Amino acid sequence: MTSRLMFRVLAALVAFTVLARIPVGFDVGFKFDSALAVIWAFGLLSLVLLTGYVGQISLCQATFAGVGAYATGLMVAGFHTDYLVAVGVGVAAAFTLGVIVGIPALRLRGITLAIVTLGIALVFDRYVFQDHAFEWFTGGTAGWRVDRATMFGLQMDSSKHLMSAYIVLLALFCVVALLMVNLHDSGAGRRLRAIRDSELSAATMGVNLTRYKLLAFGMSAAIAGLGGSFYPLVAGSVSPQPFWLFTSLQFAAIAVLMGVRYVPAAALGGVFMAVVPDVLTRFGHGTFMGHAYEISYDWFQIAVGVLLIVQLIALPDGVWGDLRARVRHARSAAGAIGGRKVKVA
Amino acid sequence: MTMLRVRDMTVRFGGIVALDGVSLDLNRGEILGMIGPNGAGKTTLFNCISGVIRPDHGSILFETNDLTYAPPHRRAQLGIARTFQNLQLWGSMTVQENLMVPMDALGRRNTFSDALYLPFSAYAERASSERARAILHVLDLGRYARTLAGDLPAGIQRRVEIARALAMRPKLLLLDEPAAGLDAQETAHLAELLHAVRERFHVSMLLVDHDMSLVMRVCDFVYVLDFGKLLARGRPAAIRNDPKVVAAYLGEESKKLTGDVMTVAAARKEEPPLLEVDRLAAGYGGLEVIRDVTLSVRPGEVVACIGANGAGKTTTLRAISGMIHPRAGHVVFAGRDVTGSPAERITKLGLVHIPEGRGLFPTISVEDTLRLVSNSAGHEVDIAPAFQLFPRLRERRRQLVGTLSGGEQQMVALARAILSEPRLVMIDEMSQGLAPTVVRQLFEIVRVFREQGIAVLLVEQFVESALDVADRAYVFEHGTIALSGPAVELRSDRTLVTGSYLGTAADASTIAAANGNGHHIDPALMEVMSVRVPAKVKRALEQRAENEGRPAGAVVVELLGKVDDQ
Repeated sequence: MTSRLMFRVLAALVAFTVLARIPVGFDVGFKFDSALAVIWAFGLLSLVLLTGYVGQISLCQATFAGVGAYATGLMVAGFHTDYLVAVGVGVAAAFTLGVIVGIPALRLRGITLAIVTLGIALVFDRYVFQDHAFEWFTGGTAGWRVDRATMFGLQMDSSKHLMSAYIVLLALFCVVALLMVNLHDSGAGRRLRAIRDSELSAATMGVNLTRYKLLAFGMSAAIAGLGGSFYPLVAGSVSPQPFWLFTSLQFAAIAVLMGVRYVPAAALGGVFMAVVPDVLTRFGHGTFMGHAYEISYDWFQIAVGVLLIVQLIALPDGVWGDLRARVRHARSAAGAIGGRKVKVA
Repeated sequence: MTMLRVRDMTVRFGGIVALDGVSLDLNRGEILGMIGPNGAGKTTLFNCISGVIRPDHGSILFETNDLTYAPPHRRAQLGIARTFQNLQLWGSMTVQENLMVPMDALGRRNTFSDALYLPFSAYAERASSERARAILHVLDLGRYARTLAGDLPAGIQRRVEIARALAMRPKLLLLDEPAAGLDAQETAHLAELLHAVRERFHVSMLLVDHDMSLVMRVCDFVYVLDFGKLLARGRPAAIRNDPKVVAAYLGEESKKLTGDVMTVAAARKEEPPLLEVDRLAAGYGGLEVIRDVTLSVRPGEVVACIGANGAGKTTTLRAISGMIHPRAGHVVFAGRDVTGSPAERITKLGLVHIPEGRGLFPTISVEDTLRLVSNSAGHEVDIAPAFQLFPRLRERRRQLVGTLSGGEQQMVALARAILSEPRLVMIDEMSQGLAPTVVRQLFEIVRVFREQGIAVLLVEQFVESALDVADRAYVFEHGTIALSGPAVELRSDRTLVTGSYLGTAADASTIAAANGNGHHIDPALMEVMSVRVPAKVKRALEQRAENEGRPAGAVVVELLGKVDDQ
């Protein structure tokens, strides 16, 4: 067990070192994409916990990220606090909202829960992030401008220090991802997975459903909120658009596409969500055999839909899940030949 | 010393009284059995004790704690564990993990220290996994510790459920139909296992099961429920010979002899059969529920299928009507092979299946339900004959089906069936949960069906009433037909049928030795085979063993030898 833990820590360190170097040497746009990829990866990671581990459906993960972002913006631009303090407030706000959203989930499941969370996403999208009544929270139509930020007393302005923001984000992601993997195999993780497989027997075997479902929603929202809290730092301002309803739906779609039960799939999905649209807008136009063409962002959304259908048929456990199963299968087959194990069936 | 004290339990579902003032006492160290026909309220009482249902009235006292309204996890903390009839293991977790959940759900564990893998959590983790191994070892499940629970065959999953319940260190173990889906041999093993569990883990048990051979073998004391009330209680031997209990299972012994039934049966004998089922096999997932079922129904004949719960009667009907896909064998209806045809096509040929629970739409009115027949018939159907047959439905024509009583709902289902002008109606558990007077009325309707030349295939728990109305009957036992003959013959020899329900002492030892197919298999090998070998291969192996006239074990050993040589 301990050796497994060592392996995981090592894997996280290697991933951090490699990923931290990738944007170096690229232009600002790509650096921004990289940071955005980590923010989206947090959103997907929150679904790995909520859907992958506990089996609950949520279509308002972007709302949690948005609440984290606005709360952070309010603290930094409104009260001029240190950025880390603001992140703490953002995460706490998201956690609170998550627990509140979790209350209906105590009674609802499946499609009904999906509709309720969709409603919450819609309400926040229309009547909180874009409404005059909440200007104190959203900073008005322009949103909060975070052109000056300090972390541990160091300057972290997005215009000059995008790379440092990216590295802080990436380090945080690696830590949270490591904790998530550990959680999966731990006692608490087993209780959460027991709820996913059979709520009925989980309750009768001593798992407190109320507590663990609320905790799952709270923790999931906090993870999404942690990502969102860094959005003002990376983008320099907060606006409602990144956290609208459609992002929530995209989280759900891409989490399933990549494999909602696996932590690394969240990272994969984050890169997919941030980098592919940007590559399309940059290089997706030109002339081909004399005809001018343009691949817009809409094509990305269509591609996600098509990929999702293909994946559900061909790779039911998600891109990462099936990849993993294939590698393991090949490895065990090789082991069987070496060790001369004969299977009866 | 009383450990569990249930007083005056009453539960109502809508208008139906599922439990009516039942009291029960369970002593420490006792294995208490609870039996009764379908709809007697056993499962309801069981669910009240385990906290899944809240009673309308009454109290539950466990040791010194009042549990009447305590949530399930609170009961778990106090030492009540349960298993589930329909297997509720956590399928995507390993067997060992399944055992560790209840262990540390009851201990003091912390989500954050778990995620950080702090030394405290690591220590607790090791302790839990060692205890899980110990329990698995005692129940002879050690080799499955790392297997995903969902991949195991049903028989092993049952044992894992018991192991998981024991992981909670319970004082009281509630077992919900632990023998469901097991064959005679596995049931015999289960009985031994439960005795061993009581010795090793010092638990008391409350057992609900239809399988009399298990209840009679295992329990110290038996409660019998019928129509939500306590019918009898006592030692197993006394219960088996209690005329009240026999009557509850088989219905009252009827006095009148129906000579006219004989003539009807005789007259029809010359006609070719309307429905012919030949060596049908079917099941769900890894479980083969019926095999080698061969039966026939002639036009205008009433045929009853009887036998204990889980014997495969319902599955047979489902396989005939196309609701599930048969795995082997043939179904020929009206001269046409309909094996595995879609259900709606079979219905169009004139075979109507009224499933258990009646298959009605609760939010549609009586009249609209009957008019829906026009839709499948393809032309406007006059619904007046239905109201002539069931005057009560005319009064309630505007009422939603869901608000009707159980008996009235069954009438709607029968009326709907007769409007579609069928040639054969299959009725599954027509009298389930209904009062005797209503049941009598419904059986009268079955007579009307026959007078109109409609054949009927009945699955019925009220054996006496069924045999009263039927021309012929098939007795199911462990997934295949054990006995068949004219209803009058079966009725005259009551012991013949009683044996298949209440398990006589004489046949208990013989069924323990043989499996459902009637031949012997080495138990240890059976287990290995049931894990690794798909049902199809297993069946082929058994077939081959039978042909060669030697144990399946010998065949397997020989085949394994060949694999090794290569």
